[in-house]
Amino acid sequence: MKVATVEPWVEAPLTRYVDDARARLALLLHPSGQVVAQAGFTRAIDVMTACALAAAAHATAGELGRRLDGRAFRGLHYSGPAKQLYMAPVDTARGAYICLTVFDQASSLGLVRMYFDELSRELAAAAPPLTSMREPALALDFERELNANLSALFGRS
Amino acid sequence: MSVFTSTLEALTRQRGVRASLIVSESDGLIIDARLRYGQDGERVAALAASLYRKARLSASAARLGSVAFLQLDAERGRICAAGRPLHWTPDGAIGSDLVIVVVADPAANVGLIRMELLKAVETLA
Repeated sequence: MKVATVEPWVEAPLTRYVDDARARLALLLHPSGQVVAQAGFTRAIDVMTACALAAAAHATAGELGRRLDGRAFRGLHYSGPAKQLYMAPVDTARGAYICLTVFDQASSLGLVRMYFDELSRELAAAAPPLTSMREPALALDFERELNANLSALFGRS
Repeated sequence: MSVFTSTLEALTRQRGVRASLIVSESDGLIIDARLRYGQDGERVAALAASLYRKARLSASAARLGSVAFLQLDAERGRICAAGRPLHWTPDGAIGSDLVIVVVADPAANVGLIRMELLKAVETLA
């Protein structure tokens, strides 16, 4: 199982979650689509594309929920012939993240949701508080930060 | 009220039964349940469905046929489960994806629970 993260406090809870829930893959991302961490088997997918699509799907579901139910839908589940995905937000002191979980017949939606609740609690407890306001997404050092994050995630030099 | 109400109530009436649930085996989600106040039905459903599926697959891999009844005894309680897994015959599909799960006290009469559970399984489509 591959584990890579740009935020070290995420690694232990996310690894445990993938193990416990018998998930194939878990991706933690910012609502903007920026990858924060990945754990599991990622060879078959392009992580950055998956995160961008997940962020878009999460935003769409949230807006749909606000229009239909007065508030954003939180959990989203898609089922395919062999693989399924579950996506839901995680609220921490550092802000909201989205967790995308891919699983197959070795697990079930019930198990994934159950362990996702534990992951949410563990991440909320582990998140160090923000010491300063988060920089805007397109700050001057955006490219440098992006490259550093990609290097951490994909082992690029 | 659901089509499972009477089935679940008959199971919950048994002495020592804390909860009874109808669970989807593939999803691990609750279809209907009778729970005591404060019980985490979703957790029981997810774990019991996973347990039942693994038992069914193990029995099949060992060429022992289908699982009729599953019992897990733990220090502070026991879980019993039974289902009729979906399979195809020349006449069509038999069984369902549903599993009936009972959570009982350690001192509960398993014989009676088993009998009620197997009777209840017959009501599943």
